[in-house]
Amino acid sequence: MTETPSSVPDAKQNKKRLPPSRGSRKTRLTAWLFIAPAFLAYATFVLVPLGMSLYYSFLRWDGIGEARFHGLTNYTTVLTDSDLLQIIGNAFQLVLYFTLIPVGLGLAVASAIRGQMNGRFGMATRTILFLPQVIPLVAAGIAWSWMFASTGLVNQALKAVGLSSWAKGWLGDFVWALPAVGIIGAWVLLGLCTMLLVTGITKIDASLYEAARLDGARPWHEFRYITLPGLRQEIGVCITVTVIAALASFDIVYISTQGGPGITTTVPGLEIYRLAFAHRQVGLASALAIVLMVLVLVSIAPVQWFTRDKK
Amino acid sequence: MAGLALKNIQKTYGEVEVIKGVNLSIEDGEFVVFVGPSGCGKSTLLRMIAGLEDITSGDLYIGDRLCNTVEPRDRSIAMVFQSYALYPHMTVYDNVGFGLMLAKTPKDVRDQKIREAAKILKMEHLLDRKPGQLSGGQRQRVAIGRAIVRQPEVFLFDEPLSNLDAALRVDTRMEISKLHKTLGATMIYVTHDQVEAMTLADKIVVLDAGVVQQIGSPIELYQRPTNLFVAGFIGSPKMNFISVTVESVDGNAITVGGKDVQSLRVPAASEGIMIGDALTLGIRPHDLSPASDGAVVGRVSLVERLGNETIVNVELSSGASWLVVLDGDQAQRLGESLALAADPAKAILFDATGKALLRPA
Repeated sequence: MTETPSSVPDAKQNKKRLPPSRGSRKTRLTAWLFIAPAFLAYATFVLVPLGMSLYYSFLRWDGIGEARFHGLTNYTTVLTDSDLLQIIGNAFQLVLYFTLIPVGLGLAVASAIRGQMNGRFGMATRTILFLPQVIPLVAAGIAWSWMFASTGLVNQALKAVGLSSWAKGWLGDFVWALPAVGIIGAWVLLGLCTMLLVTGITKIDASLYEAARLDGARPWHEFRYITLPGLRQEIGVCITVTVIAALASFDIVYISTQGGPGITTTVPGLEIYRLAFAHRQVGLASALAIVLMVLVLVSIAPVQWFTRDKK
Repeated sequence: MAGLALKNIQKTYGEVEVIKGVNLSIEDGEFVVFVGPSGCGKSTLLRMIAGLEDITSGDLYIGDRLCNTVEPRDRSIAMVFQSYALYPHMTVYDNVGFGLMLAKTPKDVRDQKIREAAKILKMEHLLDRKPGQLSGGQRQRVAIGRAIVRQPEVFLFDEPLSNLDAALRVDTRMEISKLHKTLGATMIYVTHDQVEAMTLADKIVVLDAGVVQQIGSPIELYQRPTNLFVAGFIGSPKMNFISVTVESVDGNAITVGGKDVQSLRVPAASEGIMIGDALTLGIRPHDLSPASDGAVVGRVSLVERLGNETIVNVELSSGASWLVVLDGDQAQRLGESLALAADPAKAILFDATGKALLRPA
C-alpha cells in the first residue's frame, strides 16, 4: 500500500485556502486601470454600436417614429429576399477580384523583384505599385469611371488594337459592370498586398534559396517550397484585408456605379446605407449589417486558422 | 567522387577585384580547408565553386568537366551553410530528403537513403521534428545529412561551426573528420579559425585579400610558412615578430641581433642578404623557454593560466610585446624580469618584402 507523504503540500488545497493577498488585489486593480482607457474606447466605438445594431435588427423602425418589436422577421427577409441574396452574392463575387488578383499579382511581383529588392529597380517597382494605396478611393473610383466609359481609355485601347467590337460602356453593362468594379478594387488593393508580400519576402533567409538551388530546385520549386511557406502569415493578412474590403465594400461601388445597372453591382454595404437612410428601414438594414458581419467572420476564420503561426 | 581544378579564377564586383587569379588543384577524396581573415575571399571562392557566384574569368573543373556556367544543381556538389539553411516549415525527414524528392527518387529508395544518413549522423530520433525544435548542433547535423544523402562528388562547408558553442564545435569538428574518413569524399571547408583548419585539413589554402598566400599540409604551413602573413596567421598563439639587423652571413645561416635580441644564428637561405640588412625575426611562443642567459629579455606584463599551460605576455625594452607558452605550473609574476632562450633551428627570418628566408627542405 502506498502512502502519500504528509510533507508533500497539496497545491490545489493550498490554492483554495489562501486568501488573495493585498499585493495581488492591487496588481489586478492596476491592470484594470491600464486597460480601462482602451476598453472604454473599444466599448464606445465597437461594442455599443454593435449592441445597438443587434437591438435595432429585431425592430421595425423608420429611424424617427415609434419602434415596434419585429422578432426575427428582418433576418428572415435578409435570408429569403432574392434581391438581398443577389446583393450578398455580388459581394462574394467581388472577393474573387479583390483578393485573387492582388494576392496573386503581389506574390508574382514579390518573387520577381526578390533579387533586386535593394536596387533602384526594386525601389521603383514598390513605389509604383504602392501608389494606388495613397490615392483616395473616391478619386480612384472617378478616374476608373472615366477609363471604363464608352469613350474612355479602355475602349480607346481596344479600338487601337483592332478589338472595336469588344468596346462597350463597361460600368453600365449588366454582364461586365461587376467585373469592372472588381478590377478597380483589385487595382487599389494591389499596392497594399505587394508591399506586405515584398516586405515579408525580405525576411526569408536568402541561403534557403541557395540551398534549394543546390538541392536541384527550379524557380517554381523555390516559389512552391520556400516563398509560399515563408509568406504564409503575410498572405493570411492580405487575404483577410482584401476579403473584408470586398464584403464590406461601399465607396468604390458608390462612386463608380451606385450599384447599377439594376442591382448587378449593389453590395451589402451600399444596400445597408440605402435601406437605412433612403428607405427608412433601420431594422432591416441592421439585420443585413449583422448578417454581413457574421459572413465576414465566417469567411475570415478559416484563413486565420490556415495561416496561423504553427510552432 | 571527383577532384577539382581552379585555373586562374578571378572575381570582380564592378571595379573591385575580390579573387585575384587563384590556381588550385584538389585531389579526389582530399579534405581542403580555405582559411584566412574575414573578407579575404574564401567564402566567395567556395560560392564560385558551388555555382552561387559567377566566375568573372578563369576555368573551374569538377572532375574533367568545365563547370563555369553549369547550374549549381548539375555540379554534383552539396553545401553546408553557416546558417544551416534548413527549410523551417519542413520536418528533418523532409529537409534531408528534399533534394531526392526534387530528383524524383522513388519513395522507398528516398526513405532508405534518409534513414541511412540519419543513422550515420545519429539523428534517427529527430526525423519528425522541425528545425525550430532542434539545438544548433542538431541543426548542423541535419544540414550535413541533407548534403550526404545526395551522394555528391564534392562537399562544400561554409564556416559550418561558427554558430556553435566552443564544446559543441570540438565535437562536431571530430564528427566531420570521421565523416570524411567514412565517405572518402572530396571536401572543401571554409573557416577563419586556424585551429579548425589545422585539425581537419589534408591541405590548407591560406588566402589574404583574394590572393593565395600558401598551399600546403598543416604541418608544412606551421613549420615552413612562406611569408609573414602565413607565419602570423597559422599557429595559436600567433608567432612573435621583431625587427633585427644582419650581423653576419654564412652559407647556411644568418646571425641577427637588435635592441631586444642578442646575437642569434638562425639557419636560413642567405642569398642576397648583406650585413646590416633589416630583417624580421619570427619565433613561435612554444619555441621560447626561460633561461638566465636567454637571448631575449623582457618584463612580464600579463600571465594567463590555462591549467595545462601558461601564456605569458612579455614586454620587451623596445615596447614590442611577445607571447611565451610555458608549462602550467610556471610561477611568473607580473612585473618581474624574464630572459628567454629561443631555439634558433625553429626561428624564421623574413626579408623586407615579408618573404621567408627558408632553406630548401
